[in-house]
Amino acid sequence: MTTRREFLKTMSVGVIGLSPALFPRWTPRMAFAPSSQVAGQRDILVSIFLRGGMDGLSAVIPFGEGGRYYDRRPSIAIREPGAGAGAAVDLDGFFGLHPSLAPLKDVWDAGALTILHAAGSPDPSRSHFDAMGTMERGTPGIKTTPSGWINRHLQTAAWQNDSPFRAIGMGAMLQSSLRGPVSTFSLSSITDFHLNGREDQAAAMAATLSSLYQIAAPTQAIHQHAASVFASMDVLNQLNPDQYQPANGAAYPDSEFGEALKQVALLIKSDLGLEVACVDLGGWDTHEGQGAADGWFAGLVDDLGRGLQAFYTDLYDLMANITVVTMSEFGRRLEENASGGTDHGHGNVMFVMGGGAVSTVYADWPTLASDALDDGDLAVTTDYRDILSEILVNRLGSDQIETVFPGHLATLPGLIQPRG
Amino acid sequence: MDRRTFLKAMTTAAAAAAAHHFRWAGVIPVRAAQDTAAGPALHILNRATWGPTPADLAAINERGIAGWLDWQLDYESIPDPAIDAFLRENAILLQSYEELSAAATVDYGNVMNRFLWVRIIRAAFSTRQLYERMVEFWTDHFNVPAADLLTEKIIDDREVIRRHALGSFRDLLHASATSPAMLIYLDNTYSYSDHPNENYGRELLELHTLGVDGGYTERDVKEVARILTGWGVSDERWGYFGFNAWAHDFRPKRALGELFDAGHGIGEGQRLLDLLAAHPSTARFIAYKLVRYFVSDDPPQSLVDSTAQVFLATDGDIKSLLRHIFTSAEFYAHPGEKLRRPLEYLTAILRVLQPHLSVVNGRWLIWSLEQFDHLPYHWAPPDGYPQVSAAWLNTSALLARWNLAFIIPRSDERWYDGLRFDQAGIFAEARTVGEYVDLAAQQFYGVPISDADRTALIEFAAEGGGPDTPVDDDWRGWKQSSLLGLMLASPYFQWA
Repeated sequence: MTTRREFLKTMSVGVIGLSPALFPRWTPRMAFAPSSQVAGQRDILVSIFLRGGMDGLSAVIPFGEGGRYYDRRPSIAIREPGAGAGAAVDLDGFFGLHPSLAPLKDVWDAGALTILHAAGSPDPSRSHFDAMGTMERGTPGIKTTPSGWINRHLQTAAWQNDSPFRAIGMGAMLQSSLRGPVSTFSLSSITDFHLNGREDQAAAMAATLSSLYQIAAPTQAIHQHAASVFASMDVLNQLNPDQYQPANGAAYPDSEFGEALKQVALLIKSDLGLEVACVDLGGWDTHEGQGAADGWFAGLVDDLGRGLQAFYTDLYDLMANITVVTMSEFGRRLEENASGGTDHGHGNVMFVMGGGAVSTVYADWPTLASDALDDGDLAVTTDYRDILSEILVNRLGSDQIETVFPGHLATLPGLIQPRG
Repeated sequence: MDRRTFLKAMTTAAAAAAAHHFRWAGVIPVRAAQDTAAGPALHILNRATWGPTPADLAAINERGIAGWLDWQLDYESIPDPAIDAFLRENAILLQSYEELSAAATVDYGNVMNRFLWVRIIRAAFSTRQLYERMVEFWTDHFNVPAADLLTEKIIDDREVIRRHALGSFRDLLHASATSPAMLIYLDNTYSYSDHPNENYGRELLELHTLGVDGGYTERDVKEVARILTGWGVSDERWGYFGFNAWAHDFRPKRALGELFDAGHGIGEGQRLLDLLAAHPSTARFIAYKLVRYFVSDDPPQSLVDSTAQVFLATDGDIKSLLRHIFTSAEFYAHPGEKLRRPLEYLTAILRVLQPHLSVVNGRWLIWSLEQFDHLPYHWAPPDGYPQVSAAWLNTSALLARWNLAFIIPRSDERWYDGLRFDQAGIFAEARTVGEYVDLAAQQFYGVPISDADRTALIEFAAEGGGPDTPVDDDWRGWKQSSLLGLMLASPYFQWA
């Protein structure tokens, strides 16, 4: 007899987790030599998408708004700093962090965390799927853009990099921002990245499969993916993720998000030519029972905060060459709904962590006054493309942002520091 | 685990990708123009079944394409003894809300496993193949994840999706809008007149009927949410639909250009659903999705338009829509360009290996889908699993497909007790390796393979010997499972 929780746990760990022991394991002998990255010339970008619409007003609380914030959120507001247990962590006397984001205060104190508020996409859509899609394509409001903004950055970069690990999306499905002509790689698990076949026929099977998929001269996307699988299998199998010890005592949360960040850290330290990694954290669609200092939302920001802090700690020595940025398709409505949750809104919070970040809350703050709201929601006064543009220009060596964000005349906020 | 914890699983990069097909200039396409010679009979089987078998080809050759289509659309008249037997052994799935709820409380895993397994069994082995494809379509369209609503979801699958899958869209929409699973999942049961919850109202417009470009406004979303306040789980009878008048907003509203006068209860919601079910935007949206599902990731506009016309002319009669699509010229112009989704890929393997493969216990097969993010009834957001090939094609997923193909023919090697594979019986008439490869290609793919691929497979199977290398027991014990694995892993078997 099992409870639901035990059941889901044993199923997901049991079946997948047991496979390496149950099945013979082999790797094809296909040599792969990653082209070396030109070290120290540009940052590695880690782009984190918070899917479902994060409530930025609960993540970074504008307690300085007083009643304009507290009166609209009778059951889910976070108390102002100093108001006892469960109160916000003060940042600058006006904004404060959700108490479950306290781990990020360490990064802030180290001077490496920029927080943007009232930021986001100018796309007025309150549809998850539209807003996510156009945000990742880099063209708010335009759904027909065929490629993602990260792919266009790689496409227009002034350098070449043939590594199959150049751009990685963590998870079973590839992020839209990575889609496009430049070959990218989706990775669920380094540990499971091997072929299950009869050990004694391994090489011949791999060779036959390579032939069937025409990896020597691909004519279809599926052939290219097959070529990537073969090119990377040997390398990933040598990484030993199960033995990985994070540096400096970093402790990743025991979650899918924590695991994904840990694998990105391992790939970065392995120097495989990684330039961009995408990581997702979902579950932010808090329509009911969102909670305040505790509860559903608190659990999510706890995962986010501990994950980012562990990543920062683990990669501390390399952080001058890494930029982490978070975004979400939209924020949530100022007024809470009848179910103790929040409906889809507009303006939101973005975090930038790493080499180019300076600890400040940056906002052209529109206020929460009724007449300043955008259809009941926090307005967007900083276009997310401006921040990403500044990261690309100042940290990733792009001089093609007009191609990365077509139709957008970027106004660089002068916030992200250029590389020294 | 409560619903909130579960919803953390909403890590859906593909959600954003799903709604749109990707093409980019100057790069090779997801799928090049078809080099296979799938005829019209094989093509319709590829799309209207869960993987064509030689028996399906024989049936369609006997009945003709139109006759086969009529036969499949009249699904209730097709005997389905294997599924009947399965349901007799798993009668819990047919029981009432109260009985199911009690069983799930005692042993949730047991009920969940049966529910997931019957999905795979029906897809793979039901004689009502087209019906099962439509069940899949509507399961995605009216997506409700099962993990935290198992009992309600089983009822929803039975009383909403399966009851109306080939019926009228209007009935289907009304059934979904009164389904406790949907109303709990999208929070409508927590929507009250003083603070309406917009979640269901928004998705009703965006995902179930008009489509995101269907011409509604943010104000319409808010008004629709007000109209539907009170629609939820009954106060008197938990687990069943009820209109809770105390939660309803009886004030006047204006939505979709129409005035809804003050003082109306459940009736104004029913009127709204009728309005939506007959709306031209709904016709276009359902037509677009059906054409994308059955015809092409890049739906031909002419077929979308004509299918929408059929929708309006027949008041959303689903059988008429399918008959129109499957007899259109556009349908037959797009063979071989849909990537099988992981569940289809698995069931296609099960179907072509039948009757030499028998499944004693489906547990491993069910949960093998988890690595693709395609576990049935486990897509967390409300838009359903993606339809387009690009969402399912990437490095990790391709490797996982190969591993699934490699492992199933090896099931007699005792790595898993749930499968039995008759090594001696399959393609018993093949006397040489050349004959074996040709026969397997014919039965797995239905089309001849290229000379280069044939040569590569024979080279592997004969270890450098030629096509005349004899097939004997030694060869079967040594090479057969690997060869079958390679042929099921090949690009030919990925597409439909």
